[in-house]
Amino acid sequence: MEGTTRSVGTSALRVEDTRILSGTGRYADDVKLFGGLHVAFVRSPMPHARILSIDTSAALDVDGVVAVYTGSDFAERTHGISPKLGPPSYRHEPILALAVDKVRHVGDPVAMVIATSRYIAEDGAELVDVDYEQLKAVANIDQALDPARPVIFESIGSNQLFEMTHTAGDVDAGFAAADVIVRETFSQHRVAQVPMEGRGGTAEFAAGNLTYHATSQSPHTLRAYVAESLGLDLEAVRVVNTDIGGAFGLKINTHREDLAVCAAAYWLSRPVKWIEDRNEHLLSSGQAREARMELEAAVRQDGTILALRGDLVIDQGAYVGAPSPGGGHAGLVANLMPGPYAIGGFELHARVIASNKCTFNAYRAPWAIETWSRERMLDVIARELDLDPADVRRRNFAPNDGSAEMFSGLTLLGNSCAESLERALEESDYKALRESQAAARAEGRCVGIGFATYIEAAPGPKNTRAGGRPMHEAAIARLEADGQLSIFTSQAPHGQGHETTLAQVAADEFGVPMESVRVHHGDTANTPWALVGTGGSRAATMATGAVLHSSRQLKAKVLEVAAEILEASPADLRITSGVIHPVGVPSVQLSLADVAAQAYLGTDEEIDESENVLEVEAAYDGGLGGWASGTHLCAVEIDLQTGRVDFDSYLVVEDCGRMINPAIVEGQVRGGVAQGVGEVLYEWSAYDDEANYLAASFMDYLLPTASEIPPIQIVHLENEPNEEVFFRGVGEGGLLVAPAAITNAIEDALAPYGARIRHQYLPPAAVLELAGVIPQD
Amino acid sequence: MIPAQFDYVRATSAEHALQLLGEHGDDAKLLAGGHSLLPMMKLRLAMPSVLIDIAGLPDLSGVRRDGDDVVIGALTKHGELAASEILEREAPLVAHAAGLVGDPQIRHRGTIGGSLAHADPAADLPSALLASDGWLELQGPEGTRRVAVDDFFTGYFETVLQPDELVVAIGTPRRMGAGWGYEKFTRRANDWGIVTVATVGGRVALGNMGPTSLRARATEQALARGASIPDAAELAAEGTEPVTDLHADGEYRSHLARVLTRRALTRAAG
Ligand SMILES: Cc1cc2nc3c(=O)[nH]c(=O)nc-3n(C[C@H](O)[C@H](O)[C@H](O)COP(=O)(O)OP(=O)(O)OC[C@H]3O[C@@H](n4cnc5c(N)ncnc54)[C@H](O)[C@@H]3O)c2cc1C
Repeated sequence: MEGTTRSVGTSALRVEDTRILSGTGRYADDVKLFGGLHVAFVRSPMPHARILSIDTSAALDVDGVVAVYTGSDFAERTHGISPKLGPPSYRHEPILALAVDKVRHVGDPVAMVIATSRYIAEDGAELVDVDYEQLKAVANIDQALDPARPVIFESIGSNQLFEMTHTAGDVDAGFAAADVIVRETFSQHRVAQVPMEGRGGTAEFAAGNLTYHATSQSPHTLRAYVAESLGLDLEAVRVVNTDIGGAFGLKINTHREDLAVCAAAYWLSRPVKWIEDRNEHLLSSGQAREARMELEAAVRQDGTILALRGDLVIDQGAYVGAPSPGGGHAGLVANLMPGPYAIGGFELHARVIASNKCTFNAYRAPWAIETWSRERMLDVIARELDLDPADVRRRNFAPNDGSAEMFSGLTLLGNSCAESLERALEESDYKALRESQAAARAEGRCVGIGFATYIEAAPGPKNTRAGGRPMHEAAIARLEADGQLSIFTSQAPHGQGHETTLAQVAADEFGVPMESVRVHHGDTANTPWALVGTGGSRAATMATGAVLHSSRQLKAKVLEVAAEILEASPADLRITSGVIHPVGVPSVQLSLADVAAQAYLGTDEEIDESENVLEVEAAYDGGLGGWASGTHLCAVEIDLQTGRVDFDSYLVVEDCGRMINPAIVEGQVRGGVAQGVGEVLYEWSAYDDEANYLAASFMDYLLPTASEIPPIQIVHLENEPNEEVFFRGVGEGGLLVAPAAITNAIEDALAPYGARIRHQYLPPAAVLELAGVIPQD
Repeated sequence: MIPAQFDYVRATSAEHALQLLGEHGDDAKLLAGGHSLLPMMKLRLAMPSVLIDIAGLPDLSGVRRDGDDVVIGALTKHGELAASEILEREAPLVAHAAGLVGDPQIRHRGTIGGSLAHADPAADLPSALLASDGWLELQGPEGTRRVAVDDFFTGYFETVLQPDELVVAIGTPRRMGAGWGYEKFTRRANDWGIVTVATVGGRVALGNMGPTSLRARATEQALARGASIPDAAELAAEGTEPVTDLHADGEYRSHLARVLTRRALTRAAG
């Protein structure tokens, strides 16, 4: 980066915070349009049933109810949408907003009541009479693979939607040469993203254009799907986000309710609003993670892993997500499985099944089964071979010089796992921890130490994601008429602080104070296209690169105009603190406002027309890409009488290259760890064996609160790859690896009792079962 | 999560509340702190057509001594119980349990009368008052009656309280200096107990071990026979049929009942 860095690398206060913390942000529910109508959905109480009839007459009789739509309206008047990411052989039925003929999960929307207030809409919804014929349900992976169970989508003819086998390296040779073969099954339960702001939006159709005020991580994709679904020109649809109260991957996909709300506004030519309540959110927004991995490792006595075989089944629930199908990351698991380790070969058999549950959506590190099962397997190997888990990892780390290639062919550029593990062991005084563990055990206490490493494709080497699609991202930089700098990004920030970080980057590149830069986002009318807006930890590298390039090119343009005015050569001009001056002649000064005025108002005849537009759109392709990586280490103590798990310490050593804003990096890390603690100890989107949903309130779905999160110590390594853009993403790594570190610590604590953790969810009762204190279920 | 339509009336006295209850019958519900009733209404699990707000009734709040008892107005809030000096000296078990209800916001709205009338088996105050050998004063159209907490709870969210009755006061014997213990195992800091155990004066009450708060009779009898604490605690779950829910199965709850009873008794003895 040119010039002296002033803002990048500092924990500049977040630009967003004044607005958000003073309650003056603008979220989906803050959009209030005159004459607006409100929606309540009628949802299926059954997991799987045929819809025999729907009687909407009583609802329509309610004073204030304007319309009631059912599946047949959408079948007749809209087009189904399909995923855009994921392999072509992944079978699905195009998705309509409401259920037609059949319901496929509890919470499946069957009717939509539109009224002059939400109260009336809900009263109307109570009166919609749906007659169902209940069908046997498919509640889990085993039931889905059982041919005796009914098929959820008749047109597909099977509950298995996708199957792939992927082989890299020499797997058979590895298994032939092994001293020991270690097998274990690791399953992840369903959890939900649970952002503070749920889903919702307000759609308005006026003057031939449909505008949807949404809460979306991918506004451009949402726009395309709305247009496709309603048969409108893309140009006639605009999606606008302002503030987003969290998403964690949930809001990448276009939701069926989004399509319903837009259709209703289009059909009625009146603003239509729907904001989901928490109950609805937990029931029907979708969930994540549910998958089962059977792993087999060919290992030498010294812990060297020669090869791995995996059998993965992902439970996508009933309806496929679009653009990102729930099982679509099976390919990512195949590519990422070796992580930072030099493993000789990997064979993955992966299947995606449908069940009568809500849609599987992305959740912060959607491919996490890869890291969890691998890092668990490393600990299992250590236990089976009586080695220290640190030594097993050391034995297998690939060299850290950027030369190493994973068997999948990806380079390990930027990964510093070996370094972060050593640093974590050193920082936590691992030897002393082990000694105090031995002492505690002698006193009858139950303490454990666990750690795990990860690499995070943020952005990853070229073509890591999405089967080799181009991953470039664009940004627009504009010098406004008053001399201020505007940046337009296709990110859709929802907690990441991009208004701050991108302003820091642009300010340094341009030579202005951060306060002179305003970052605009979320409006498809003025931001560049992107398939995924904010997701995949892309922003730090991709959005930053785009901002860097557009700012740099704009600066060159500005200096050309300035050069005309100052009768100097652009090469001799600098911008310092927002003022243009010739090198070494600080007394000659020109403000950016002067340049803008000259350019836009054209008062200077010297300036030709091509220089009138001080706006540049530029894209960045990620360069060589590279990994963010790190190690988490925690110590736990378990109360063997109650099964309660307490953290003695939690340490993160992370490396995301140079940090743009350390406070934001730490916020991302802490949030990820908190969600990891939640995932292992508290959160479960539970369905019973008949696919009835059991966790539709916060009394049942337990989110950790501040009291449950241990103090988190963070150490940063800032290995800067030799790249133009040396920042790496940090959005997903915290949650990616935390469950592995935590479950490894719990298993370590319970090792004297022969415990083996196969299911990630460990409420107190499960801990006591593992310890043999109470009988296994 | 929007309640069905309802009317709202504010009662000006206990008598007025009773008169309103008489007028509206089963369709009416008393509203105290609202922290159990309103969530049920938002989920449309309760759809009263009239809410009779008693939260502001002046005479039904506060803690006082009355002979051998401490008497607590039904509208006294959990936070006030936790901070009451009288309770702290003479019925510390009740004060302590009240201080563990939910979080500060809940303790500043929820009332003891509401908690008992709601009769959630997982709630803190019912078990604390059951162990304390407490009683309730109920006022109805025919006058007032006193019911022992032992006889008050009849089933899951069910009590002997009649639809036209009001809980006006709750009492507990004064137990200056008596050893007591209260154990509440929660998954998160501010949660309901997975199991709770309250003990004072040889009585042991369990929360969330069945449809109502209930006595651990086998443990009490063992203690009366002079059994050791560990031996008596082993019997804590005897005769109970704890529910299985998302947080715990019956087996685990029974185990917890034994563990927490041992802890509570040990504390009471210490
Ligand atoms: C998030 C949350 C967490 C909670 N955690 C706990 C906890 O950990 N432990 C715990 O014990 N409780 C907990 N509670 C419940 C809380 O203690 C409630 O305040 C209490 O159960 C009910 O008291 P209330 O005054 O709010 O009653 P309301 O909700 O107003 O009424 C409850 C019921 O009692 C009836 N009623 C109220 N007062 C009277 C009266 N004087 N006479 C006759 N009938 C009456 C009402 O008609 C209604 O049916 C929690 C509540 C919430 C919302």
